[in-house]
Amino acid sequence: MTPPPTLAQQLAAKQREISVAEFFERNRQILGFDNPQRSLLTTVKEAVDNAVDSAEEARVLPDVLVEISKEGDDRLRVAVTDNGPGILRKEIPNIFARLLYGSRFHSNRQARGQQGIGISAAVLYANLTTARPAHIVSKVEEEEAAHVLDLVIDTQKNQPRVVAEDLLLWDRPHGTRVEVVLKARYVRGRQSPYEYLRGTAIVNPHARLVLVEPDGTRVTFERASQELPPLAKETLPHPYGLELGELGYLLKGTRRPTLGEFLSKDLAGVSSRATREVFERSGIRPTRPPSSIQGEEQERLLAALHEVPLVAPAADCLSPIGATLIKRGLRNVLGDLRPEFYAPPVSRPPKVRGGFPFMVEVGLVYGGGLPPDPPIQILRFANRVPLLFQQGACAITTAIAHLDWRRYGLEQKGGAGVPSGPAVVLVHVASTKIPFTSEAKEAIAEDAEIDKEVTLALQAAARHLRAHISRMSRREFASDKFEIIQRILPKLAEKTSHLVGKPAPDLTPVITRIMDIVHVDSKLVRTDAAVRLPVEVTNYTPRARVLELFVEIPPDEFAAATFDPAPEGTEPALGRAWWTLPKLAPSGRTQLEVRFPAKSDVDAGDLDWYVVGIDESHVLGADPLPGDWDVRLPRTIVEAAEAAEAESAAAGPDEGEVDYDAAESSASASDEE
Amino acid sequence: MPPSRARARATKSDPDDLPKVRADALQPTLALAEQIYEQLDEGEIPRMRLPLRTKQNLSFQVRDGVWRLGKAMGTRSARKLDGALMLLRTFYLVDFINEMSRDRKTSTLRELYYISEAWEDAKFHSEDESNLLIEDLEVMCERLREDFRLHPEENGASVIGDLTIKEKNRQGVVKKINCKDDVGDGGYSLPFNVEKEKIEFVGTNAKFVIAIECGGMVDRLAENNFDEERDAILVHLKGQPARSTRRFLRRITEELKLPVVVFTDGDPWSFRIYASVAYGAIKTAHLSSYLATPSAEFLGVTASDIENYDLPSDRLSEQDVKALQAELTDPRFGTAEWRSEIELMLKNGKKAEQQSLAKYGLNYVTEHYLPEKLTEMGVL
Repeated sequence: MTPPPTLAQQLAAKQREISVAEFFERNRQILGFDNPQRSLLTTVKEAVDNAVDSAEEARVLPDVLVEISKEGDDRLRVAVTDNGPGILRKEIPNIFARLLYGSRFHSNRQARGQQGIGISAAVLYANLTTARPAHIVSKVEEEEAAHVLDLVIDTQKNQPRVVAEDLLLWDRPHGTRVEVVLKARYVRGRQSPYEYLRGTAIVNPHARLVLVEPDGTRVTFERASQELPPLAKETLPHPYGLELGELGYLLKGTRRPTLGEFLSKDLAGVSSRATREVFERSGIRPTRPPSSIQGEEQERLLAALHEVPLVAPAADCLSPIGATLIKRGLRNVLGDLRPEFYAPPVSRPPKVRGGFPFMVEVGLVYGGGLPPDPPIQILRFANRVPLLFQQGACAITTAIAHLDWRRYGLEQKGGAGVPSGPAVVLVHVASTKIPFTSEAKEAIAEDAEIDKEVTLALQAAARHLRAHISRMSRREFASDKFEIIQRILPKLAEKTSHLVGKPAPDLTPVITRIMDIVHVDSKLVRTDAAVRLPVEVTNYTPRARVLELFVEIPPDEFAAATFDPAPEGTEPALGRAWWTLPKLAPSGRTQLEVRFPAKSDVDAGDLDWYVVGIDESHVLGADPLPGDWDVRLPRTIVEAAEAAEAESAAAGPDEGEVDYDAAESSASASDEE
Repeated sequence: MPPSRARARATKSDPDDLPKVRADALQPTLALAEQIYEQLDEGEIPRMRLPLRTKQNLSFQVRDGVWRLGKAMGTRSARKLDGALMLLRTFYLVDFINEMSRDRKTSTLRELYYISEAWEDAKFHSEDESNLLIEDLEVMCERLREDFRLHPEENGASVIGDLTIKEKNRQGVVKKINCKDDVGDGGYSLPFNVEKEKIEFVGTNAKFVIAIECGGMVDRLAENNFDEERDAILVHLKGQPARSTRRFLRRITEELKLPVVVFTDGDPWSFRIYASVAYGAIKTAHLSSYLATPSAEFLGVTASDIENYDLPSDRLSEQDVKALQAELTDPRFGTAEWRSEIELMLKNGKKAEQQSLAKYGLNYVTEHYLPEKLTEMGVL
């Protein structure tokens, strides 16, 4: 289907009256060429998007080289080389030197470029600002030599003009190189080619991207995945998203002889029953030729299509990144900063808005070497393309700002706005049609459906963050206690028994009193043979404990996991397993182990541990079992849980004694003499 | 500790041992060890209770006229990391004290701080930390740090004026010294031990003692012959005065019946210097009856002096204001006079150094300011 007539199309329709140069001049801003810094980024972006798209279409892992070099004071040469399938000689001039020409223009499939303006606009910008032709080299596998063309755009006719042509024996089997000289400025930082490639690398871990900056610095984003994402299927337009103008356009352009065939074969989701109903409602005969439906009849046809029940749009035209690759991509690019936590990425199920399927994915990284200064970093992506401009105007940012992040452990003034803290949030919106705020495709427009999905995905990721932060603070608290019992108490016993001349006392009772927790301690060990996760459960409380231990693992990882000893029960679809632990005396300890295949991407943080049989304040390393687990517990565990509840209800607060050292230090601050 | 006992003991002399050490000092330290050992053995979390040394826990002793520790107690428990560390440090310290006693050694506070380098987890991170723990031990054992064979370095607070003393030097020889005629321009330097076994007062013709915060002002008064002309003994406080300086002032009023006036800068910190001389310091409130001189009077520079003498002044800093506000809740400054003095300083927002009196010439302080103030106080 054709997208609704966009501003660009409306403008393009007028191009018979005005030259493309004029069209360009009037629309520099929406095309992304309103200043030298942005013009460079737009040029790089359009060329890189094309390069990655074309390699994927040809089912090769993208390998893209971006070279930027100085060409005089305010001019830069940008050369982007890919390993795509190459372009046939006869298509080269139209693709690079004719506005609104492209293969994806009429396809209903998730793709990076859509309008066919991008790369030719860059060529036009280069022509206009430096009067230099674009230099194109392209080779298809079937031909011996590469075609080399120098192209300019005839700004009166919007037609390509070849100013020089040659053949070249190229050292690659296939690929394309586009080279333009343009008025531009190279700046590093937030809205730079570097950031764009970095973002692209995160959501396209199957691509290898190399950037050569004007000063010769070479930055390589290595490939983190050898798997090509499945090619998104092309689907037919679905009536739910159809507007009148588009319907007319389709009716006029179809090759189907009858309206009945048009409805069932050129549109998605219209069953034969639905077709019959449409004709009944609209009163139009199915045998009429599609092109004969005009004016008021088109309106009736569309109204009927919107009224009858249709099959929902299919989502296989979307190309989500997927949880595994989001994590791999984030780790590949952020790994040097050693973040302390990667939340399990969230991939929401596909939803439909206005006839177009869409889905939302969210990744969240926290702590470690990430810069702690506010605000958090937001990585926005639309159809795997980084959005670098207009952050404040984007629906993704709005959804983030409307969430109360204080509930999830990040700082946020007044519970609204972009939160602060050492965190990176990635949001990917994939759709056959993303509602951008403008033709420059820099921000996603506000939309209730998208906002709802982004919010749900953010909340899911944020819940993992909250669990992580509370785990860390409890661990800190416990690490003090471990220091007391492991380092201080034994020495205190040694000193005092030496001073009084008596044998060292048994410290077990004191240790359990000080700790008063059951410690569930798991560490991830990667070996060549397997990823091992040994778990030690130690009872540092003064009484014997009977416990049921539960683990939740992302289901695809769960499928590959093995357990020792075998769990009491499992629920593989949900990634759950549980054990009844042997009775643990004070200071008693038991072990179990979870194993994954050697290549697994699993992190210790992907496993959530839960325990039943003890009050939550007396457990470290596991949380109380959430209420929605429908597990039949052994009688001993149920009794233990009841006893634990009674125990915590009975325990009063800490005698109300004044901590001598705390009182001293708080007093000395202003009373120092 | 009950200071009366400390003083009583301090009068006994033991020529072999410097400083004077009470033979039974080790016993209470071992009792502490016994207490913790028993808790460990019975499976209890080790803990100690000790009086809080905070301003909220100061109580006025009518009999002595000083502020001493009240009844509020705090707990130091191994339940928390800080508490556990302090307990462990306490017994490293007790062990060290017992060791010194066996070897008949003494140690300076600074040496102790370095000794603790070998205590691994229990080592002190600053000298303040070790000094505070020694004070804790003093409180718990009701002994003085000298009893634990720990003493400060010679701090050399100087005394200038017609005061004759007898000091027993390191060789055990008793020397008679007049603090005007027998000393150089720097005056007589106080040793850390100013008890009777070390120093005895022989006699004086002075009429009063003036304790001064800054060395520059001591020099000014000495150069202007203030001590001779006005029959004064000048004592340099060197900022917040050391225990020996406070103990010396206490003895001089008690034994020679001389009034003491305190002459400091005009700022919140100087008020605290006076308070620790006259009423006792918060951190050593357990020794107030032994160290404080309740009859000492504050001469200046007062907030009203800054106005009346139109002294060059600085604006109060944020910390100054905080310190003054803290003083308003300090029971030692609870009198109407102090409250109005502190409130006046807060209101004017000004502080001045004692040497700002030099605005009117080098002789102004000795010829005008001090005589006026001392007459007003009834000392002259």
